[in-house]
Amino acid sequence: MIHRVLAAIFLASAAGAQLPLLPIPPGKTALVILAHHDDHTWQYGLGGTIAKMSDAAYTVYFVRVTNDEKDGGAGWGNNDQTNLREAIAATRFLGVKEVLSLNWRNDHMDSIPLNELRAQLILLIRKHRPEVVISWNPWGHYDRNPDHRKVARAAGEAVWMAGLANIHPEHLETGLAPHRVPHLFYTQRNDYGKGHDPNAAIELDDGQVQRKAGAYWAHANVRYNPAAARALRRQLDAQGLTIPELDGLTDEQANEKLEKWHMIWISAQRGKENGVKYAEVCRYLDEWRDVPGLRDYILGSAEKK
Amino acid sequence: MKLRLLLCMAMSLLAQDQKVLVITADASDYVLAAGGTIAGMAASGATVWLVRVTNDDKDSWDLPPEETARRTREESERAARILGIGKVVSLGYRAGELGGVSPTELRDRLMFYVRSFKPGVMFIPNPYAEYVEVLDRYYTGQAAEEARRAASLANFQPPFASVGLETHLTPELYYYAQPFDPRRREAESTATFAPQPKALDIAPMLAKKIQAAQALKTVNHALAMRIQQRLQETGRRLPLLDRVDDDAVGKLVEINVRKLAEIGAQGTGYSAAEEFHYAGVEYQIPAKYR
Repeated sequence: MIHRVLAAIFLASAAGAQLPLLPIPPGKTALVILAHHDDHTWQYGLGGTIAKMSDAAYTVYFVRVTNDEKDGGAGWGNNDQTNLREAIAATRFLGVKEVLSLNWRNDHMDSIPLNELRAQLILLIRKHRPEVVISWNPWGHYDRNPDHRKVARAAGEAVWMAGLANIHPEHLETGLAPHRVPHLFYTQRNDYGKGHDPNAAIELDDGQVQRKAGAYWAHANVRYNPAAARALRRQLDAQGLTIPELDGLTDEQANEKLEKWHMIWISAQRGKENGVKYAEVCRYLDEWRDVPGLRDYILGSAEKK
Repeated sequence: MKLRLLLCMAMSLLAQDQKVLVITADASDYVLAAGGTIAGMAASGATVWLVRVTNDDKDSWDLPPEETARRTREESERAARILGIGKVVSLGYRAGELGGVSPTELRDRLMFYVRSFKPGVMFIPNPYAEYVEVLDRYYTGQAAEEARRAASLANFQPPFASVGLETHLTPELYYYAQPFDPRRREAESTATFAPQPKALDIAPMLAKKIQAAQALKTVNHALAMRIQQRLQETGRRLPLLDRVDDDAVGKLVEINVRKLAEIGAQGTGYSAAEEFHYAGVEYQIPAKYR
């Protein structure tokens, strides 16, 4: 099965066709490594995939790398605390077990030594031994956010370096063992084009999309904006238009409805592009990504014990 | 046909005086990505030097870093000799740590060898190749690309000139990478100077390339053990690796090199090839004047 999916992924990459549907790989643990509290949502986030993994009995940990102090209007200290609290609530919707906050300064990650952040991620990978890491694409282009770029780079190195015993041998003294992450799901802010080139789609069900929408809305510190809903309805009124689903709702309720629609709409859009009702897309790298000359041989010759 | 024959003869004559500088981040990358082409140039009479930037001290299965570094150095020199490389320089940076090294320091150390050797051809890791997980290759490629340029400009490192290291512009540049990047064959802009995808036939040198790759015993053993462990963890086995001994690892390496050559040859008409992005002298002339 996985052999056929991999073949389809490579063909799809070459042809730019509808993306193959990627099954959740067999495993127990996933580590989501992202810069910010709400990066698992948005139009490029993989919140639905996280929900799907937890439905498949994965234990999911979310590593929030920065302190999110710049995101929101409550001042740096309050933003940090509120955004962390909301991240914990939001990721619970998705089935995440724990949020691990590294608390690097938000929007200042360009000046952080890469190897320092990488060392933290290597330790967490060795501790949790994930079969799947979800992160930013280290080869994505045009992401203007310094936090995304630095996290992508550090995660891209940590996923394989954690498997080398001579990297941070001090970790082994605590009983941890080397662990190379086999499956990588990468995403990127800009959806398509050369900036990010997804090669797989993950099909989502209604419940998973609803949970992604709920997680998105749970970041109230940055999402709560009834004035935006009010302005939209005024604009529609002026043109003699209305959205029946918003009739009778307060501005707060309309705000929530519109924000959740955003997540449902983008999931439906990705689904439509890939022949299913709902989907998310990612750049998937498999367990043999480092040996392009051996992949076919291993997949063709490996036997079940 | 005659023109092609003449061209080959001319290239062969040129190669006799050719000096080739190969820069690699680690012991195996240049062998797997460019070893056949380099061996071909050496066999045609070129003098080849290799600068290996890191000491590969992490790349073993169960050896401490110091012993890993010692063995990989010996094995790297053996592999280089098989390819016909005359001199190997090891800069000795710790593997996996280039992200913490000053890019200018690395550039200047590489520039030293560009100015002292004065190559006609350079092979460098392609820093623009995507999905290359080993970032040492990216940092090395970036520093090497800068070193080639800086070596030609007198205002970079004036003290070099005081010890006889005059400026030098290397006319031909090959960017190499193993085939991780799905877009590696897309042409770059041709409006101005830009390296372009290029595949070279390595069929006559394939056996030598396999032999050189097999000489890297420590890193190959680690690779075989990683594959075996991964399969074991997921309830699978690869009959070839039931016993990870020299024969099994050697066979695994041969399969890898042959398949890489096959991937490189896809769509080229060759039976075995390597893929590069190539910036030759012609690319330094604007397209409309070529």
